[in-house]
Amino acid sequence: MIVQENNRWMSVVARVAACVAMAALFTGCPPKRGNAVSGPGTARPVDPGTGYGQQPSGSDVGAFPREGVGGVDMPDGDSPSPLADVNFEYDSAALTPAAMEILQRHALWFKDHPGVRANLEGHCDERGTVEYNLALGEQRSRAVYDYLTSIGVPGTRLSTVSFGKERPLVMGSGEASWAKNRRVHFAISG
Amino acid sequence: MAATLMASAVGAQTSAPSGAASPPPAAGIARYSIEGTATRVAVPECVPRAGDEPAREACKTISEVLRKDLLFEEVTIVSDSLYKMLPPLKPDAPNFEDWKSVGAQVLVITKADVTAGVLNLELRLHHVASGDSMLARRLSNKADNPRYLAHQAADEILALANIRGVARSKIAFVSDRDQVKGKVAKEIYVMDYDGANPRRVTVNRSINMLPSWSPDGKAIAYISYRTGMPELFTAWIYEGRNTMFAAGKSGKVYAHSFSPDGKRMAYAFSPAAGKGSGDMDIWVANADGTQPQRLTETAASDTAPTWSPTGREIAFTRSLTIAAPQIYVMDSEGLNQRRVSTIGTWNDGPAWNPAKEFTEIAYTSRLDGGFEVAVLDLATGQTRQITQGRGNCEAPTWSPNGRHLAFCCENRGKWQIAVTDRMGRDIQILPTGPGDNKYPDWGPAATQ
Repeated sequence: MIVQENNRWMSVVARVAACVAMAALFTGCPPKRGNAVSGPGTARPVDPGTGYGQQPSGSDVGAFPREGVGGVDMPDGDSPSPLADVNFEYDSAALTPAAMEILQRHALWFKDHPGVRANLEGHCDERGTVEYNLALGEQRSRAVYDYLTSIGVPGTRLSTVSFGKERPLVMGSGEASWAKNRRVHFAISG
Repeated sequence: MAATLMASAVGAQTSAPSGAASPPPAAGIARYSIEGTATRVAVPECVPRAGDEPAREACKTISEVLRKDLLFEEVTIVSDSLYKMLPPLKPDAPNFEDWKSVGAQVLVITKADVTAGVLNLELRLHHVASGDSMLARRLSNKADNPRYLAHQAADEILALANIRGVARSKIAFVSDRDQVKGKVAKEIYVMDYDGANPRRVTVNRSINMLPSWSPDGKAIAYISYRTGMPELFTAWIYEGRNTMFAAGKSGKVYAHSFSPDGKRMAYAFSPAAGKGSGDMDIWVANADGTQPQRLTETAASDTAPTWSPTGREIAFTRSLTIAAPQIYVMDSEGLNQRRVSTIGTWNDGPAWNPAKEFTEIAYTSRLDGGFEVAVLDLATGQTRQITQGRGNCEAPTWSPNGRHLAFCCENRGKWQIAVTDRMGRDIQILPTGPGDNKYPDWGPAATQ
C-alpha cells in the first residue's frame, strides 16, 4: 500500500517541490548531505558508476590496474620432490604406521643432505569447506613437522603450510582421487 | 541517514536530528512512501529522447535492469501485458486514469538522452491515485554503462519503500577461468550483484582466495599464495594499489574479515612453523596489520572470523577435534567464548548478517554427508536449512542490507555462485561466466 505520511518522506518531496517552485527541476536541486548527486561535471577521483576507476595505460586486466606485486607461475600440482608424500585418512591428521615409516626414511635423507630445507605442504581432499580444509591441512603439516623433529630433523630446516583443498594432486571425485590428495608434500629448497 | 532535510531552495531549510521525525512541511506538498512490497508499481518502457539512437539502446537496458532490480527486492510490478493496450505514455503528462485502470498504484517514468557521451536519466515516480509526484531525479553517468543508472534508479525507488537497495553492490569471488593446463591460476574477480560485468582483480597466476570487501567498498582483502605461503593482501581496486597485511609476515593467514567500521581486521593466524603452528588462532589487528592482538589461545583450531554488525562480537569456527568444527561467538576482545551452533556435528564458515534487525549467522553444515548452507537465528536458537539437493554448497555471504544470501555450490564438478533471499526461497545461479567460481563475498557499492 502507499501511505501518505506527515513526516517521514518530506525530504524527497520537499526538495522536488522546492525545485519546481524555482522552475529549476533537475538542474538546481541542492544535494542532500551525504548523498552526492551525480551529474555531468561532478568531479570524482574514482567512478563507481562505471565501476572501475581510471585505468593506467598499459594495463591488460580490464579496467583494474595491474597489481604492484608481480606474478610467478605456480605449477598446477606439486613440485618434483625426492621425498615421497605421506598420506592421511579422511578427516584425520594422525600419522598412519605407513606414514611414519616413510618419515623415518625421510629423516635419514635429511641427514644425508645437510643444508636442504623442506616446506611441508598439507593438502586435503575436496570434501568440506575451504576454511575447514585449510585448518586440516595445517594440522597435517604440523603432525609431520612434530614427527620429523622428534626423530632428529632440526626444526630450522622445516616450515609448514596448508593449501587446504585448493591444489589437488589429481582431479576427480571418488576415494581413489581423494586418497592421493590427502597428503603432506615435501617442497625442497636450498 | 542524512541529518539535514533540504528545502533551502525556497529558503525554508529545516533540520532534524538523525533518524528523528521531520517537522511538517509547508502546506500543499505531498508526501508518500511505498509501504510494503505489495504496492503495485508500473514500470513502463524507458522513453528515449526523439531521434536519439544511443538513448533508445540505453533505454532497453534500463527498463530491463530496473525491473529486475525491483523484482529482486520483491517489489510487485504490474505486468506489461496489462498496459500494452493503453495509449502511449506521455512521460511529461501521464494520464493517471490509464494507470489506475491497470491497477498501478505507483507509476515509474524514465526518460533518457545521451549528450556528449553522458547518459542522462530522468526518473519520476507518481502516486497514481492523486497524480502527485513522489520522486523526481536526474541521474547521469558515462553512456557506456546504462546498467549502473538503472541500478541507481532502482535504489532510489527502493529507498521510498524503506529498503536499502543493493542494486549497485558488487560480489567478489574466485575464478579459475584464466587457468591454462599445467599452471594454476585462481584469481580474484569482481562482478555486479546480478552477475554482470565480471572483472579480474588479481593477475598473479597463483592461488588467490577468500576475498573480503572493506565496508566502504573501496578495497578487497584476499589471501594469496603468490610467494608460496598464504599471505593477506589488500587490493585498492580503484587506485591500483596492493598492500600487504603487516601482521601476516611472521606466519600464515588463513581467513580474515574487516570490522564493520573498516578499521580492524580479524584473522586466523598460524606461526610459520614449530611451536604454536598447526592450530590457528583468531587475532585482531588494525586493518593494515599493525598492532596485532591474539584473541584465542586454545589448542583447538580457530578460524573463519566474522564480525557482528555492531563490531562488538566475532563469530568463528572452533574445531576442538578434527572433523567436529562448530560455530562460536566471543566479544571482540576475546572474552566470553561460547558455542552457538546447536545442531549438527560439523559446522563451519560463519557469516554474520550485517543488518542489525536480523540477528542471524549463515554457515555451512555437513548434513547427510553433503554440505549445505544453513542460517542460525541467534534470538531463537533455531536453524533453517537454505540449500538442499544442489550438490555441495558453502561460503555463504550476505547482501549489504541482509535481505539476501550468496554462496557457491558444486554440482557435477562445476562450482557456481548462487543467490537467494534470506529464507532460502528462489535460489538463482548467477551467470558468472566460465570456469569454477567460488568463495563469493558480497560487498557494498563503492562510496565516494
